This record gives sequence, structure tokens and C-alpha cells, in this order.
Amino acid sequence: MLRSMTKKSTTLLNLTAVVVLVTLLYLLEINKNSFGMAVSILQKSVILSIVAVSMNLLNGFTGLFSLGQAGFMAIGAYITAIFSISSDTIDSVYYTSGLAPWLMSFKLGLDVFPSAIRILFGLLLGGVVAGLFAALIGIPVLRLKSDYLAIATLGFSEIIRAILSSPQMDQITNGSYGLKNIPGFAIESDFLPVGTGSLLVPFAIAALCITFMVMLIKSSYGRAFMAIREDGVAAEAMGINLLKHKELSFIVSSFMTAIAGGLLAMFMRSIDARTFQISMTYDILLIVVIGGLGSITGSILSAFLVTASKEWWLRFFDQPLITGGITIPLFRTGFRMVVFSVLLMVVVLFFRRGLMGNREFSWSALLSWPKRMPKAKKGANKRG
Amino acid sequence: MKKFLAILLISVLMLSVLSGCAATGNAAGGNVIKIGVFEPVTGENGGGGFQEVLGMRYANSKVNTVDIGGKTYTVELVEVDNKSDKTEAVTAAQSLMSSKVSVVLGSYGSGVSIAAGEIFKENKVAAIGASCTNPQVTLGNDFYFRVCFLDPFQGTVMANYAMESGAKTAAVVTQLGDDYSSGLGNFFLKAFEEKGGTIVAQEQYQTNQTDFKAILTNIKAANPDIIFAPSSIATAPLMIKQARELGITAPIAAGDTWENTSIIDNAGADAEGVTLSTFFDENDTSNVIAADFVKGFKEYLKANPDSLSKNGGEGVAAVSALGYDAYMVALEAIKAAGSTDTAKIRDALAKVSYAGVTGAVTFDENGDANKDMAYIKTIKDGKFQFLKTVKVG
Repeated sequence: MLRSMTKKSTTLLNLTAVVVLVTLLYLLEINKNSFGMAVSILQKSVILSIVAVSMNLLNGFTGLFSLGQAGFMAIGAYITAIFSISSDTIDSVYYTSGLAPWLMSFKLGLDVFPSAIRILFGLLLGGVVAGLFAALIGIPVLRLKSDYLAIATLGFSEIIRAILSSPQMDQITNGSYGLKNIPGFAIESDFLPVGTGSLLVPFAIAALCITFMVMLIKSSYGRAFMAIREDGVAAEAMGINLLKHKELSFIVSSFMTAIAGGLLAMFMRSIDARTFQISMTYDILLIVVIGGLGSITGSILSAFLVTASKEWWLRFFDQPLITGGITIPLFRTGFRMVVFSVLLMVVVLFFRRGLMGNREFSWSALLSWPKRMPKAKKGANKRG
Repeated sequence: MKKFLAILLISVLMLSVLSGCAATGNAAGGNVIKIGVFEPVTGENGGGGFQEVLGMRYANSKVNTVDIGGKTYTVELVEVDNKSDKTEAVTAAQSLMSSKVSVVLGSYGSGVSIAAGEIFKENKVAAIGASCTNPQVTLGNDFYFRVCFLDPFQGTVMANYAMESGAKTAAVVTQLGDDYSSGLGNFFLKAFEEKGGTIVAQEQYQTNQTDFKAILTNIKAANPDIIFAPSSIATAPLMIKQARELGITAPIAAGDTWENTSIIDNAGADAEGVTLSTFFDENDTSNVIAADFVKGFKEYLKANPDSLSKNGGEGVAAVSALGYDAYMVALEAIKAAGSTDTAKIRDALAKVSYAGVTGAVTFDENGDANKDMAYIKTIKDGKFQFLKTVKVG
């Protein structure tokens, strides 16, 4: 029977899937010219999937409704950008007031390392700084419950954005002017085909980040998170230190969000503070809710589905459509977003707990999916 | 039921993928050359972006074929909406690249142009900006050109104008995190101080802010002779109205974005006396090409009631003229290149010389148009009225 699949065959299927995925990504990235759109969408999706999973860790598993994602992403993005822009072109980027001398000499000192190391350093430093911020604001903020926590974190994210774009920060973040000339993912080497790494690098980093979070959730910490989500008082009675565990979840989530922010900067190649508006947090919240609160694979799946349908598959709705000489009305710029919203509503109406509910992807469920549909519905209603 | 719905949803998605492919597939055949239109039609800059698109559409309706190596190609415009948003801009630009456009026009708003510039550069497709005035758009990017003047120039022009109109002190209001607004404000500030003026107040506001009372009160206390407040179209009427409500009588000046009738519509009588610099004047009869364009464009608008209403009446915005010029320059370059190869078009573009609606267009080594003249306009009797031209050598 399919349902009672052995552990061995699951591992085999997993391995095959990874090999197929890596080959596919490699083929796509070295043929970037013909598959530009697919490459872009995959890059953006995989970056958003890190943020979605880290938001899910906080909102779905620990039950902390935080809306600070855009702020933490901004921290990661700016730090990564500052350290990855090459020192030769940095003057043209900071064209109004120049880079602060102490930062410039630090950057010049880092130039002895190859660019990959510098970028990695930027990503990690961004994550660490975001984690520090999370630890600091977590002490007062995490004592708040549900809505109040959401408002406090939302405020934090807006404050970060205002600070980053303030004229006082001109010499560090380039204030209102934003940063450009940020290197992309592709590894530049004479031995590799052009475009190598533009998909594999973000996918590898995402895989690392997500695996870490999965391991955390499966550990005793993860069980403590879920206990806090279900009932804080009961969890405390069981001997779980509430603040410590909430802080841990908040810090890990912020760290990963900042890493994703850094990757987003590399994806966009130029950033400014307006990129990290509150609407970005909502986009990620949307991905998490569509995927299912409390389902990691759901978040990943929905990051890909939402990004692809929003940016790519539905794009033809924006073009005028002429069939047999008749111009069909409604097909015009902006119609795409209408269709997208309707699709979202349909999903939310019929999959009330998101596409995956709080279940995870498994091969046996996939292979026996058509048969099990009615039963899955019953299972999804069990919780809550 | 749920199973049925799931299958339905999946099939709808699949269908959209298929039709998406079909739409891009059938246009590839025949002698068609595609020009990408990369503009915001929604979002903060949607209004101005659409006027620019209108100029390009009009140009396309006027000249829609181009001869390449003896063969006549039909020019097809591929429009994408970058939603005035940098994150969207990247994927919007990428979607133009995957529809294999030969050259890109746009965008209104410098931020999105800067963001997309890297994509165009990577794909070796030339882009011609119509009204993106920030120096960063073309700097260090060999594939970005533009047909308008730059912010340092515009800032100097407005500073000159302010001095000439007798202002000794000025206040500068800019939008935090917006490279157009902050850049232009900064260039004005430098030029104004160089000429001996004093900046008495410098204020910033957030994107989408609607209440400017706090910063305007500070400005009122500083009592400047002129207020320079480059901003997006959506912000302008709010700020003008609130300034007048607070009893600030100093003239308000801004940059090219403010030339949009929706500002007059929304600010009403308060908009009287606002001055701005722009690229083009529809009542300037000295340029024959411009006069022709104005006449033809108005007829085009009348023929399309939908475009007319979105344009906010029959006025011809400078950005429409620039959109037209950008399209024509692109055709010139394609002709000169004699090929649909994007890299060849880029090289031809660098050498193009074209007499356009907004003046002669030739590009310098950065890809910026060599332009030395700006038009100053003022709002009088509910209309944009030409005041004078300013040249900076």
C-alpha cells in the first residue's frame, strides 16, 4: 500500500527530488537568456519562502502575531548591500554625501577577501544585527498579547524604515537615494557557464535557513513553542520559560528574515527604504495564510504559487486581448490584480486553513491524494 | 465538492499559463519588432506614467512601421506596469525581456528606472528614459539613455528662477526615501546657496503622508520667500492646500512632476501662483515639430474618450511629448542600426541625432540628452501658463 510507505522509499524519493531540482535549476540558470522570467520568479519565490517560513515560525508555531518582517528585511538588505557593493563604484552610489570614512576604511579592509566572502559576511552581519534588535525590542514587546504585539512590531518596522531614509543617515545608508550596483547571485568565473549560481546560490541558502528552522521546530524548543501557542498559562505551568522561548523564536525568525532581506537586495540589485513598506509584510502574511499557518511546506509552496501567479502567469490579463477581431473588454493594465484578488478569495473561502492547513507535505499523501481528499477535510477540522 | 474545486482551480491556473504562452507565441512570427513600454500606470505615479504611455501610443499610431535592411517591420508596443514600485519593477522589466523586446521606453519615476536598469544592462537591451531625471539612472549604465534633462540642471534652473524673482530665503520640502524628490531638493539647495541665497528650513515627509501641518508650521515660522517642494502628483495638492490654509503666502515651486492637471483640479484656487519647471510647452509655436505634435495628439485624444478622461482633459503634458520623442528616437536608432539586434541598436542609439518635439536630441557619453533649456510655467486662472524659458550653459 502506498500509505504505508517505508522510510527507505521516502528517502529515495527525497533524494531523487533533490537531484532533479538541482539539475533543473542548473539548466535554467545557464540558459538564463531564454528563461529569464522563470529565473526571476524562482529567485523571488525562494527568497520570499525564507521570510514566509520564518514568519510562520513566529506566527504559526509560537503564536506571536508579529508584523515587523519588512523592518528586519530592511536591516538585512541594507547591511548586505553596503558590504557587497564594490569599493570602486561606491562613490558613484553615494553621490550626494559620500560614504562615512570609518565605514569606507572597514570596507577597504574587507577587500582582501573574495567577493563571495564579503557578501556572506554582509548577510550574516545583517542577520546578527537584526537578531540583536529583535532581542532588545523583544524584552518589552513580547510581553504584549496578540493585537498589541502586532501593532508594536508594525511600529518598529516603520521606525526602522524612517531611520534608514533619514538625512542624518546619508553617509551610511545613502538616505533617500537608495543603494544600487548591488551584485547579483551569479558566480563570475571563467570556468563556469554564464549565469551559474543565479538560482543555485539562493536555493542553497534558503535550504540551509529552512532546514535550520525545521530542525528547531522538531526539537524540544519547537514543542515548547507550540505549547505556548496553544495555551501560554498551561505551558508556563509545565515549566516552560515563556519569555525565553518567545525571545528565541523572535530572534531566530528575525535573523532569517534579515538573511532573506539581504538576498532580496541581491535580487533587486538596487534598494531604497520604500521597498520595505508595510505592504511587503502584508504580502508575506498573505503567503503564510494562503499556505496555512503552522505548515512549513505550505508556506514554501504558497511562496512559489503566489509569486508566480501574481507576477507571471496572470500577466496576460494586463495586455489587451483581441480574438477574431473583437477586443475583449476588461483586459487592461491592472486587471491582473483584480483576477489575483478573486483567486485569493476563492482560495480563502474554500481552503479556510490555507492550502495545506497545518499538515506537512509527504510523499504518501501526495501519491494517494485523489483518494484521500474527503478524509483530509475531516483531519483538517480536527484542530481548533 | 472540494475535490472538484481543487481540480477547477488547478485547471484555471494551467489555462492561464497556456494562454500566456499563446499570447507571446503568435506575435513572434512575421516582420514584427517589439518595443517595450516600461511605465507605472498604477500606484503613486500612475497618473503621470499614463500620460507618458499616451505619448508613446500616439507615436505608435502615427508611425507604426520601420524599415530594417530593406524589409518593413511592424512596430508592436509591449506595455508593462511597474506599479511605481521597485520590487515590481524588477519582474516587470524581466517580463519585457522575456517577450524579447528590442528596445525599452521608460520609466516615469527615477527609482523604478534605476532598479530595472541592471536587468536591461544584463540582457544588453537599450532603454530610453522619457522623464526620469535622476542622474543615477544613466550613470554607470551603458544601456540607459534619456531624452530629458537632469535634476542637477533642473535644480539650478529653479534656483535661478527663485533668485530672479527676488527670493532671498527658501524652504525645501522633500519626500523621505524618494530619490527624485530628495535629489532634486538637494540640487536646488546647493544651487540656491551658491548664488547667495539662504535656506531657512529643510523639512521631510513620509511617502503617502497626507497631513503636512507639522512641517508647514515650521516653515511658516521660518518665513521663507519661496518654498521648493518637489513631490509626486498625489502629494502636491494636499500640501498646497494645507499651506494656504495655514496662511503661508510664499510662492510654492516644484519640478516637472507637478505639470499635471489633477493638481489644479484637487487644489482649486489654492494652486494659483504655483511655479514649476518642465520640458515642453504646448503653446510654443517656434518649433514646427512641436506644433504638429500638439495638433495630432489632441486629435488622437479626442478619438479616444477613455484616454482623454485619464489625461485630465485636452492639455498636452510634457511627459507625453517626451514619451513621443523617446519612441521616435528608438525608431531612428533601429533604422540606423539596420538590425533587430539589441546590442547594435544600443550602439546606434549612442550616435543618434534627432529633431524632436522637446528639442534636438543627441546623447552625451553618459547617455543623457544634451539639453540646456527648461520651460518655467505657472498656474494662473486654473491653467498652466507659460512664463519663460531658462537656459543654463
